[in-house]
Amino acid sequence: MAEIHLRNVSKRWGSFVGVKSFDLEIADAEFLVLLGPSGCGKTTTMRMIAGLEDLTEGEIRIGDKVVNDLTPKDRDVAMVFQSYGLYPTMTVYENIRFPLKVRKVPQVQHDEMVMRAAEMVELTDFLHRKPAALSGGQRQRVALARAIVRKPTVFLMDEPLSNLDAKLRVSTRAQIKNLHHELRTTTIYVTHDQIEAMTLADRVVVMNKGEVQQVGTPIDIYDNPANTFVAGFIGSPAMNLMEGTMTGGVFEGRNVRIPGFDGVRDGAVIVGFRAEDAALAETGEIAAPVYSMELLGDSSMATVQAGGTLVAIKAAKDFSAEIGAPVAASVPAAICHLFDPATGLRIAKGAA
Amino acid sequence: MKHKTFLWFVLPSGVAMFLFIALPIVSVLIQSVYAPHEQVVIEVENCGPFGCTKATSIDQAATAALREAEPLGRFVGDDIYTNRNHLAFAEIATLWAGAESLGMFWSQLLNLPFYGALAFTLTYTFVVTPGAIILGFLIALSVNAIPRVFRGPTIFFSLLPMIVTPLIGALILFWMIDARGILGTALQAIAGDPTLSVKASTPLTWIMLMVYGIWSSAPFAFVVYYAGLQTVPQDTLESAMIDGASRWERIRYVVLPHLLPLTTFMALIKIMDNFRVFEPIVSFNAAAHAQSLSYFIYSDLGGETRLLSSAAATSVLTILGVAILLSPVLVRTWKSFGKA
Amino acid sequence: MSIAANRRSPLLQTFLGAFLILWLMVAAFPFLWTLWGSFKVEGDFFSKADWSNAIFGTLTEVETGAPFTLDGYYGAWVQEEFWRAALNTLIVVVSVVVISLTFGTLGGYALSRSPYRYAFWLLIIALMFRAMPPITLVSGYLLPFFQWNLWGHLPTTIIVLVAINQPFTLWMLTAFFRNIPKDLDESAMVDGCSQFQAFRHVIIPVMWPGVITTGLFSFLLAYNDFAVTAMLLSKENQTMVPKIASFLGTTQTKGNVMFAVASVVSVTAPLFVLVLFFQRQIVSGLTAGAVKG
Repeated sequence: MAEIHLRNVSKRWGSFVGVKSFDLEIADAEFLVLLGPSGCGKTTTMRMIAGLEDLTEGEIRIGDKVVNDLTPKDRDVAMVFQSYGLYPTMTVYENIRFPLKVRKVPQVQHDEMVMRAAEMVELTDFLHRKPAALSGGQRQRVALARAIVRKPTVFLMDEPLSNLDAKLRVSTRAQIKNLHHELRTTTIYVTHDQIEAMTLADRVVVMNKGEVQQVGTPIDIYDNPANTFVAGFIGSPAMNLMEGTMTGGVFEGRNVRIPGFDGVRDGAVIVGFRAEDAALAETGEIAAPVYSMELLGDSSMATVQAGGTLVAIKAAKDFSAEIGAPVAASVPAAICHLFDPATGLRIAKGAA
Repeated sequence: MKHKTFLWFVLPSGVAMFLFIALPIVSVLIQSVYAPHEQVVIEVENCGPFGCTKATSIDQAATAALREAEPLGRFVGDDIYTNRNHLAFAEIATLWAGAESLGMFWSQLLNLPFYGALAFTLTYTFVVTPGAIILGFLIALSVNAIPRVFRGPTIFFSLLPMIVTPLIGALILFWMIDARGILGTALQAIAGDPTLSVKASTPLTWIMLMVYGIWSSAPFAFVVYYAGLQTVPQDTLESAMIDGASRWERIRYVVLPHLLPLTTFMALIKIMDNFRVFEPIVSFNAAAHAQSLSYFIYSDLGGETRLLSSAAATSVLTILGVAILLSPVLVRTWKSFGKA
Repeated sequence: MSIAANRRSPLLQTFLGAFLILWLMVAAFPFLWTLWGSFKVEGDFFSKADWSNAIFGTLTEVETGAPFTLDGYYGAWVQEEFWRAALNTLIVVVSVVVISLTFGTLGGYALSRSPYRYAFWLLIIALMFRAMPPITLVSGYLLPFFQWNLWGHLPTTIIVLVAINQPFTLWMLTAFFRNIPKDLDESAMVDGCSQFQAFRHVIIPVMWPGVITTGLFSFLLAYNDFAVTAMLLSKENQTMVPKIASFLGTTQTKGNVMFAVASVVSVTAPLFVLVLFFQRQIVSGLTAGAVKG
């Protein structure tokens, strides 16, 4: 049993706010991803859970124990660091065994436990090397093995893949997902890479400037972003966000006119849609000259200027147009999301 | 790190510094306002057949008892600070009134022991510091220009004047500059004066001390600049070349700005070190011609009569001097920290 | 690095080369001259008549029958019991280095890991302490040390030198510990160590390069000190440097100067060896604070 409760958790350094009243319940065996740009407070939140950082305010519970004043060693958590934090003077075997040694696990069990952890991450061939003699991916797996060797109640992972090259990142991601499925340990995973978040998470917490923006399943935050920050952060490419005004249910901005927002109140508004939801057409809600064309492989992306920004629209891979040639795109009101330009918050469609 | 853990880790070091640096500063402050007890004198009337004579004698027991009871001595306030051996206010006033010209006043002022020591210390600090930095910079440029294989041995020999014990380095030079030593003889030959003696002349002694100072602190500047030259950003240097900068302009706009922070750092360290100049005066046996503040304290402390109060007052004044020299750094730190 | 940006004109190259040779002579010649002269008699070491006597040892040959003599060394080490001073120096220096480093690693580690402001101010205070001329502190010690009968003993001098050493040691080690990634001790703490265990198991094994460099400078400070050892040690506990200074007081006696010369060479020799073996560490230590700004 290892639910984690964060109640009103805050971190301030002087007048600088690192994390602002964070409230969250994390279920047992859940894979939770903290996602956000660098400096958003996600790592600080994790370090407070680990006990490496003091709380300014609030309360953290792991299971039914308040851990605010416990040192990291008494919290029964394991952590994988961004730069792995391997002990350079110890061999791989000693590195993995270290948590067992300092936690006074009976000597006789060490060998078996280390070997099992090493097997899970396929490290058995490297046990007698020093970390300096390993590749980046192997070091990363040593860090993983060291975390899983003693079956902690919580796993914490701080951007564990960011120092790997693109190819290794994909395979290690799969390995982490598989490990979690096998061990069923509550896991908190920090990343700035939204693809990692989407592929790994049961639930994602999007953070910005120390504040939680949205908590939800990956599908949920992708389909129903709570505000313009989440909309602009999630997805590749991110959601197009056009500025304009709403008059009598019709949205108008530069090079764009979308009717059909009945019941939405008049005034300035931000309209967002995803590139893959729109389509190029003979005539449509957006009509503008092509700004640039990019071939992505399985498709191509046309960019035009509309509503005060650059708007991307997905097209078939054989589509081509000269820069400056006029194109049109169909962006029906049904695929659009509305946001309040003042607060950035989502406006429910059809609401008055 | 938790406050309590931090405290335990820092404790040994902190206690050592508190007991043997912070408290001694307090101790010199206190000592500087007390003077030793005078001997207790008693008057005894000896009446003999030829009438009575009054004689004074020292009451040893009473003196000892008094010293035992108040080991610090008697409280004298700022007397020691203002006496002739320190700030000498009264003497300065007389000098000022009696001096015919500013130059005369000045030269008489420097005859007062404290002002003489202060003048030498400041001259030494502000001649040796830039001198050593410039010499060190030239050595660094030269070493950077020679092939790599020669650099190791060159650095080895260049380090020696700095590494060697100051007292000993100064002694070695002193023996050479002695009238019978190789440099002293050479100087006599050059000057054509067989009686020339560096030791006997105040200006030559000053120059000699400063030459020693530059000799012994140039290696530090050299090493720092040499390391700095290794880290000059090559990209910037190359882009400056492509932009059409001449060799001099590249040095002016790329290399020197890169070395500037190092120079500030070094100047700070060297000013602190040179301000405490002391050992070479002992080695050169130069006290008759040049005294520094540190030497002034040393000579008060040593010898038959340990003039603790006088030394303490000079120490306090020296510490004030250090504080004034350091104040720009402290103010800057304070400001930059206030912003952060 | 023979890339275009570093090319120099031949004239400049020649000038720099000549300057460097001049500097090397200035830097090294005094030591070689004194080393050579220490095997002569006083008449040759200070040879008014003909400087070549100092090289060929004419008078030395007349007086002792050989161009080289160990009289100076015999006089200093045996007759004047310089070995006692050497032994005292050994005791003082080893103790100072060991204690300084023990205190300094603990303090420097804590300072490098504490995010709080007081850690910063502690370093600034240490910097101010570093600026105090040692002799001003000595004048603060004498009265209480006389009063409490602490004056003259080796342990007193050792602990005083340790304290005077601390500001510098703390600065240097803090800088070294900052270069050891925090991840290391933090993973140890998550793995189940207390802060002290993390320090012991994980930081100590990787800190030696920094500790050795800092130790070299602690060694130099203790070995080269004159102000503290001269004022705080009684005659029988004197270390080498004040002992040499006391030789100077009696230079009028013939031959005594040669005792001083021989002991000066004896004191310098270990420093030569030190630079020879640890040149790289010394250079890196000198620049550690500076290059990072």
